[in-house]
Amino acid sequence: MKPWQAFSRFRWWHEAAIAVMLAGLLVVAGWLMPTFLKLESQLLLSRQLWELAIVTLGMTLIVITGGIDLSVGSTMGLCAVVFGICFSATGSVALACTASLIAGVACGALNGVLISKFQLHPLIITLATFAAFRGIAEGISQGAAYSKFGAAFGQVARGSFGGIPYAGFLFAGLAVAIGVFLARTAHGRFIYAMGHNETAARFAGVAVDRYKFWLYTLSGFLAGLSTIIYVSRFDTARADAGKGLELDAITAVVVGGTSIFGGRGNIIGSVLGLLLIHETRLFVSRYWQIDELRSIVIGILLIVSVLLYRGLERKNRD
Amino acid sequence: MTIRQLLFTSLCVFTFSLAGCQPSQPASGSGADGNSSGVKKIKICLLPKIKGISYFSSCYKGAMEAAKELGNIELIYDGPTDGDPKKQAEMIDQWVVDGVDVICVSPNAPDVVASAMTEARAAGVKVITWDADGSPASRELFVNQATSQSIGEGMVNAMVGDLGENATGDVVIISSDATSANQNAWIEVMKPALAKTKLNLATIKYPGENASNALADAMDVIKKYPQLKGIFGISSVSFPGAAEGVEQSGKTDEILVTGLSTPNDMKKFVQKGSVKSVVLWNTIDLGYLTVYVGDALARGKLEKGSTKLQAGRLGEKQIAGDNVMLGDILVFTKDNIDQFDF
Repeated sequence: MKPWQAFSRFRWWHEAAIAVMLAGLLVVAGWLMPTFLKLESQLLLSRQLWELAIVTLGMTLIVITGGIDLSVGSTMGLCAVVFGICFSATGSVALACTASLIAGVACGALNGVLISKFQLHPLIITLATFAAFRGIAEGISQGAAYSKFGAAFGQVARGSFGGIPYAGFLFAGLAVAIGVFLARTAHGRFIYAMGHNETAARFAGVAVDRYKFWLYTLSGFLAGLSTIIYVSRFDTARADAGKGLELDAITAVVVGGTSIFGGRGNIIGSVLGLLLIHETRLFVSRYWQIDELRSIVIGILLIVSVLLYRGLERKNRD
Repeated sequence: MTIRQLLFTSLCVFTFSLAGCQPSQPASGSGADGNSSGVKKIKICLLPKIKGISYFSSCYKGAMEAAKELGNIELIYDGPTDGDPKKQAEMIDQWVVDGVDVICVSPNAPDVVASAMTEARAAGVKVITWDADGSPASRELFVNQATSQSIGEGMVNAMVGDLGENATGDVVIISSDATSANQNAWIEVMKPALAKTKLNLATIKYPGENASNALADAMDVIKKYPQLKGIFGISSVSFPGAAEGVEQSGKTDEILVTGLSTPNDMKKFVQKGSVKSVVLWNTIDLGYLTVYVGDALARGKLEKGSTKLQAGRLGEKQIAGDNVMLGDILVFTKDNIDQFDF
């Protein structure tokens, strides 16, 4: 057996490829900027990642079913406004957090109902709610910003235990739970089946519509959850929370090797994709100190990774 | 070679290079902090509200001049291109991690950056605000370009002066974000100042730091208030936006626009006559003074409670409480605007 034949039987080469890219980036970054790899600073700056990371988990499941959720960023905007209004009315952070979660679930459930009951394409539905949720958020808040939630609440995003931010633990817990759910349960297999061929899955007795409803609801819930971290990090709740986050989440999912057409991908890939995007951004903005370079580099990264996967994919079919 | 072979090979190469690179890292890291001249080089970060608009670019010009004069300063100038205060907060976090000495912030929304600034101070970084103030606990000093009193009254006086003492009718204010501390402070001064005149403040618009929104808001108020005599554009973005709006609706002769912006942005309007006065301070001096204050703080030259600071070519500057005062406002008119290039 030739060495590359053994390599082709290896099932994790998507993940391996991205891990290699990540390692390569870290080596180059550490070489050009020795302070870059310092664990302490990496952990401190990881707070720029967690909200996106949590939303990406839900997005991964949805993209595996062949769907997409463009509304997560706008959902966060609406949740932030609900958070702010609830806080200014009651003065209780706990109630405001609960309200944010409920708002997230409601937004997600609305997407779920529209997509599963009316059999409309998720791209269209969530594009509509993408605009609508943000509009509602701006409308009810009139552009106002809610602030001064107290120093204790600020620690939700800025505090840490043993150097690791609280949000990091939350994300790790969620990632493991969702990863196991996807890889080790029958529900997870059904989600892949839906992505491969929805009609076939339907005929095989998979409750496709119910899965769709719950997945979009989960995505909304995660958006509500990351809103809490987001609001805590900036001590501000405003209708522009999470703007553009949906595209970052989709980018992370695709860079992580999940097929945008569904049926392939996993949580480990998405986590690696997230890390790759996060580290690339950090390096670019810390090394060159030019803010606008970040998005350019992420765009290049997306194209390169997709081309790489396509190359691998084509070979894999024969 | 197939793509799989290629990938396999590159994986091997990467693994080897990874192994080869690791031990050499600590070597390249050591000795980076030393400085041959003996004087410590300090890193000063200048964070504008938005990068790339002429107002802040002109401040940067002054800052570079000061950094060059003082020597041993590494000046970093970066800010969000879209004026997003959340990006400002993230930049502050990153600079703290990179171990800079001074961070000078012009906060777009004081609450959003407050926790990042407080954390930076806790980490031993000197944090000052310039151009716009943040919450007092989040910074050591504020480099104040001009008091809100002098700016607010300056704009009202310019409007009344240009319209004529006894002018009546409506005026509107086109501000920046509803959260902008500067603009809100000026509005608080302008309200009573306008009440003393015969002009009536009809409404205040908040288009954000966005010229096309400001233009749309101007068109909107022109339609809505037939008695409109004047528009105050009180940010360097909304002023040209409002002036453009008045020109596009063909009301140049009936509606006067005044406010606050940089001379270069307003030159064409002033030359055409649709704008008569532009109120501002010397932005180059503002950037210059900010770097001087940052340098003095970092090198321990500025003690708590000092009332004066020697700032290079600007001479001695007053410190009132925790505000370093730049000085008076400047009014640009058709006669003097061409002398300024920023």
